[in-house]
Amino acid sequence: MNSPTFRLHLRVPLPRLTAELDLETTERVLGLFGPSGAGKTSLLEALAGWRPNATGLIEVEGRVLLDSAAGLRLPPEQRRIGYVPQDTLLFPHWDVGKNVEAGTPRGPARRAPARIRSERVLEVLDLAGFERREVAGLSAGERQRVALARALVSDPALLLLDEPLANLDAPLRRRLLSYLLRVLDEFRIPTIFVSHDAAEVETLCTLVAVLERGRLLAAGPPAQVFLAPGIFPLAEAGGFENVLTGVVEAADGGAARVRLGAEGVRGAILHCPAAGLRPGVVAVLGLPAEEVLLASVPPVGLSARNILPGAVRRVSQVGQAVLVVVGLEHGGAEVVAKVSAEACSELGIREGRPVHLVIKSQSFRLLGTGGTAGPGR
Amino acid sequence: MHLPPILLSLSVAACATAVVLPPAVLTGFALARWRSRVKPLVATIVLLPLVLPPTAVGYLLLSLLGREGRLGPRTLGFDPDLLFTWKGACLAAAVMSFPVVAGTARAAFERVSTRLEAMGRTLGYSPYAVFLRITLPLARRGLAAAAVLGFGRALGEFGATVLVAGNIPGRTQTAAVAIFDAIQVGDDRGVALLLVSMAALALALVGGAELLLRPPQRPEPGPEAP
Repeated sequence: MNSPTFRLHLRVPLPRLTAELDLETTERVLGLFGPSGAGKTSLLEALAGWRPNATGLIEVEGRVLLDSAAGLRLPPEQRRIGYVPQDTLLFPHWDVGKNVEAGTPRGPARRAPARIRSERVLEVLDLAGFERREVAGLSAGERQRVALARALVSDPALLLLDEPLANLDAPLRRRLLSYLLRVLDEFRIPTIFVSHDAAEVETLCTLVAVLERGRLLAAGPPAQVFLAPGIFPLAEAGGFENVLTGVVEAADGGAARVRLGAEGVRGAILHCPAAGLRPGVVAVLGLPAEEVLLASVPPVGLSARNILPGAVRRVSQVGQAVLVVVGLEHGGAEVVAKVSAEACSELGIREGRPVHLVIKSQSFRLLGTGGTAGPGR
Repeated sequence: MHLPPILLSLSVAACATAVVLPPAVLTGFALARWRSRVKPLVATIVLLPLVLPPTAVGYLLLSLLGREGRLGPRTLGFDPDLLFTWKGACLAAAVMSFPVVAGTARAAFERVSTRLEAMGRTLGYSPYAVFLRITLPLARRGLAAAAVLGFGRALGEFGATVLVAGNIPGRTQTAAVAIFDAIQVGDDRGVALLLVSMAALALALVGGAELLLRPPQRPEPGPEAP
């Protein structure tokens, strides 16, 4: 159980820099986060075996794909990788159905019954009835979904997703994110997810590696790594938010009640917009850090629907602002508030101090549904 | 076998195209994908017959295939019976159209994205399967153009053909050779007849190729179904 999912020690020479990644982890869903030009896509291509000049070690769940010290380099067709590149690379001479089936396991070497059936994938990705369509007539979002379907249907031992949600509108993005949560949870495929969207990384990944100009700046759980002083500006530019997961207890009219944490955990209750939620489902909510207010005494007479008691766990200065990590009294989930340095000193914010969080219900936005609730997600 | 010049020309050109396509397409693929410092040299050698006078190529073939030549009957141990036969005409036309076909095929393969080929590998295809299932189909229109150009080049071949195959009416006298022959003996009617029929043939070929190579009509993407 403790053998690492990923053992990655990779060097990829590029025209202007060398992209490097050194990482060993037991986590299954790894995010690669960083500004464009950080070498994220080149690393994915090296993992897929598309870059013959890449050196080092790639080991996924004990399978060695590359070990240049031992002279081992699996060709791409033996790596069992489902790759969704940003430019989708659909085959223009085949229709959608044939594209999706392109990687269907063939031959005796591949496992017999497909774990991920193409009909089901097409249905979930809203592509049912697309089988006979020409690839050239598809919109950007449709192409992205077809590429994702093709990768999943190929029964991969490793999924590489390069900005798979980049070309989608908000509702579709939400649905696809929900579907990815479910797929990654159900099939437990080791996944490397490249994104410059911090909220997406927080939603999908249990571990994030932050890259800049080919160098690994930091690696760890997204909520911790993104708050580090050197990283937060990057994360914020990428749309950092609190990502909170809980079970919907009630959803009626315009408002919903979500209890944070896994089922049975008596976590704090959040009030948020009900759109897209049904009682019983797991909701993943985004909450911008600057929309969280802190109160040093229990506030009264406010219109805000969420007033949550907690205690300050960590404080860090980031530029002119201060990031205050608050552990909620009920359930212990962490919420980050971004406040000004003046406000912070006036309120006497320091580690251990009890505070109340004040959050308008409209400050929450739904990132997706499904997956597993609770910490570790 | 006794064939009128036009029919002989068509048969020789068809034979030459069939002979030249496989090696020329593979050469074009190699030139499009291969990265090496000697590649420009190889590319130049491939293009050489295009620049050399056809009579020079014909002379080279003649000396290679002659009784004492490097590829002649004595060296080979058997007589392939190439000189002054229609097979020789076919070989001469194939050699002359090789650079055109290989060059056009190379351009066709260079337009196929190597990333699409890499994706094929990632989806489990061997390099050989990628070539057959992805590269060839994606290059098919350019390869068809290569075949048409090669056929056209073979159809009009004169210099190398007349040296290797000679001018034997009904056996090796192709249309191009026959026109030269008719002019030499002052047979104006014969020249006119050959000219008109060759022009009609060329017109049909070029028109047919134009139809064949027309890009597929694709309906504009309409509004999406609800």
